[in-house]
Amino acid sequence: MAVQDPIEFDFDRIDSLIEREEAELEPKRGASIAYRAVADRFVAGGVASSWQDSPPHAIYIDRGKGNRLWDIDQNEYIDFHLGYGAMVVGHAHPAIVEAIQKQAPLGTHFAQPTKQLDVIGENLADRFDLPLWRFCNSGTEATLEATRLMRANTGRDLIVKIEGTYHGHHDSLMVSVAPDPADMGPRDHPASVPQALGIPQVFADLVRVVPFNDLDAVRAVIAEEGDRIAGMIVEPAMMNCGVILPEDGYLQGLKDLLHANGSFLAYDEVKTGATLAYGGATEVFGVTPDVICLAKAIGGGTPCGAIGATRELYQPIIDGTYDMAGTFNGNPLTMAASAATLLEVLTPDVYDGFNRIDKAMKDGLSSVIERYKLPAYVTGVGAKGSVIYSTKPVREYRDAVGIDERLSYLAWLFQQNRGVFKSPWTKQETWTLSVWHTEDDAKAYVDNFEEFAAAVSS
Amino acid sequence: MSTETVEIDIQLVEQLIKEETAALDAKHARSLSYRDEAAVRLPGGVSSSWQMWPPHPIYIDRGKGSHVWDIDGNDYVDYHNGYGVMVMGHAHPKIVEAVQRRVELGTHFAQPTEDALIVAEQLHERTGLPFWRFGNSGTEATLDLVRIMRATTGRDLLVKIEGTYHGHHDALMVSVFPSEADAGPADHPNSVPQTKGLAPGTLENTVCVPFNDVEAAERLFAERGSEIAGMVIEPVMTNCGVVLPDPGYLQRLKEICHQHGAMFSFDEVKSGFTVAWGGAIEAFGVQPDLVAYAKALGAGLPCGAIGGTEDALRMVIDGDLDQVGTFNGNPLTMAAAKVNLTEVLTKDAYVRLDEINSILHGCEDIIAKHKLPASMKTLSAKGSIDWRSEPIHSYRDLWAIDDRVPQLGWLWQLNRGVFKSPGSKWESWTTSIVMSDQDAQRYVDNFASFAEAITN
Repeated sequence: MAVQDPIEFDFDRIDSLIEREEAELEPKRGASIAYRAVADRFVAGGVASSWQDSPPHAIYIDRGKGNRLWDIDQNEYIDFHLGYGAMVVGHAHPAIVEAIQKQAPLGTHFAQPTKQLDVIGENLADRFDLPLWRFCNSGTEATLEATRLMRANTGRDLIVKIEGTYHGHHDSLMVSVAPDPADMGPRDHPASVPQALGIPQVFADLVRVVPFNDLDAVRAVIAEEGDRIAGMIVEPAMMNCGVILPEDGYLQGLKDLLHANGSFLAYDEVKTGATLAYGGATEVFGVTPDVICLAKAIGGGTPCGAIGATRELYQPIIDGTYDMAGTFNGNPLTMAASAATLLEVLTPDVYDGFNRIDKAMKDGLSSVIERYKLPAYVTGVGAKGSVIYSTKPVREYRDAVGIDERLSYLAWLFQQNRGVFKSPWTKQETWTLSVWHTEDDAKAYVDNFEEFAAAVSS
Repeated sequence: MSTETVEIDIQLVEQLIKEETAALDAKHARSLSYRDEAAVRLPGGVSSSWQMWPPHPIYIDRGKGSHVWDIDGNDYVDYHNGYGVMVMGHAHPKIVEAVQRRVELGTHFAQPTEDALIVAEQLHERTGLPFWRFGNSGTEATLDLVRIMRATTGRDLLVKIEGTYHGHHDALMVSVFPSEADAGPADHPNSVPQTKGLAPGTLENTVCVPFNDVEAAERLFAERGSEIAGMVIEPVMTNCGVVLPDPGYLQRLKEICHQHGAMFSFDEVKSGFTVAWGGAIEAFGVQPDLVAYAKALGAGLPCGAIGGTEDALRMVIDGDLDQVGTFNGNPLTMAAAKVNLTEVLTKDAYVRLDEINSILHGCEDIIAKHKLPASMKTLSAKGSIDWRSEPIHSYRDLWAIDDRVPQLGWLWQLNRGVFKSPGSKWESWTTSIVMSDQDAQRYVDNFASFAEAITN
């Protein structure tokens, strides 16, 4: 995996390259930079979500088509950002355009059930091996419902989560999302760190944090707090530090430990669902949990979410003992887009295509890493992949803590200046592929990465 | 107000409920059989528990203007309007055009697009509040309000009104519909969990006071003012009919909050764009620190927004507090919201809503004629008939109402071509700007035959 005798990065050089690339980017983004000042007048910070504003400046988008995206300066990009991984169908896919254009004249919202629901439920059951589904409007809403399902069904209050993962912005799981090393406590008993101001510590204390890929840590928490644990939520492949794969036996081990304790296992497949494979991480790693949260990719670019669970967990909802509700849940426009996405676009055969492009990405990037002796490696599955700037495998959040984020920022700038749009922020290079991406797109990405590699190693 | 009223014969009401339910079942053969198919993959056969009201869920096929059709082909005038969302009517040509145009340009980038600013400008113009952010539902909007109030003040305690719903996240799922047995004394209401599975600590950190009761709020703030992050209130309380704030009530609450260093927030998810062009902020002339919108904003697409003063949103603007969401400001939603606010829900539209209202007020004559123990209240697109001679003033007034009467009223309308939201003991109707005079008259005529039937 890792290269022999890797180079050591010269951070003075990287700083000066960052300066150079920022200076090159700025004139291309005149309209975005000017528009920010206009938008600032009425939109807090000029953007609709804080994570749409990353250094050096917010980038305002005009339109997208297939694998391409244009900003308001009319710069054209190959889109590997894909709306934080939601647009694996690509932009304005004809099947989804048609579905939305057909549904809009028939009405888009009744807060009543419509006839698309069972078809989508059937498809999700086929993909993820869970029998029952409900719909909502975002990943945040999906994990909120998953948390409540586990608590309501057990009458217990503690939730176990992985250190360094994000599961939406409601109070219960906004804990130790990206904890500062100064706050995160010892590895064998990580602190529960509220991720934002405005989250009372009493809610953070209901979360026990464990490192990813460590069954003993879960064993220890169960030994300590067993009869209080409602369940555990986990991204089966951890996605906010690159793509970190579960080690063999980890997910099955979690399920066994939790079930033996009368607790439930929930997957947050908001990022991995219908992207890693037809049946997401559930299919790839062959372990079906009790609850699955979906969002992002399943709506084809409309705000959506879904919660799948076993009949046991859903029984109180079926009986009406408690409500899982929302005015927009199952919105007909979202459902029309979702039906087209799941039944017409993300069919089982497209995943061969993802795997083919993924291989081209991995082969190309690995070859660059090898040739330039970068302290880095490539990982990923299906439509998701990343370059991780570490010589030793990143198995959990703490392994990624020491990585200098100037590297991924510079790599991001290189791509932005050379026609590739990528998601910002992460310490790792993370990309998402769409059904429209080609080997040529992979080559463009790899070529830019090679320029970056040459620049940092010269 | 009527001085004397008839007593409703509940046995007769029960008999009529049986008859009307049987008549409804007969019309809903396809809904009934589809429910069984849908229940294989969806708990209860629906995507939200509040879509499964007895006697059975009703599956909708399509909507156009003021009408909806169910999958059995029954045609209704829509007073449900998707729990108060579709005040612009179904498939409004301008919204359809906006959606059809935007979808070809891409609907999601998780990057800012220009329509968000136009929507924010509109919201500013309507409310005077300068800064805005977006989300995907009312639940997300009030969740953001709570986070901002707590983060800004560094305090944990929230104050809400007894008997109001503000979305389904934990912090405000408290005393939404508390039962008489659980609610505790009126001057010190208990914090009652609305659902199983709330995080422990939720009840300790959310307290409630009765609507329209200044003294109760003053007392609570006198006792615990220094712990209180802020208050969330529906300026028009909408889950027990349409309950209007007493004159001066909202302004006084704002003063109390500010005297104690707490923030004051409106939940205008239901009242926004329905009770007036500028929502309750315009209708009652009180500007809060923060406001939440959803429902009508997106013209039938999932959406939400929060607005605030510069001080209230300071931490978000400065990046000290992230307000986030992958789908926030979704370009398709923003395209629909932009046209909705700039071209559809214009000031003229609210003139039409008043005209419809004046026809609906024919129900008052029927109440008087039959001496019904009922009263009617409306505010622009929102209205309700309360089964009580005096209008509902606060949540606890509901307890004395027998919900079989409004249940029968709902069935009666459904069987006669009017679609209404269920549970009308606490649900109002919503009209739309595209309703015709005949659409409004149909409601009144049905109410007349209903009044006749129950007073026979």
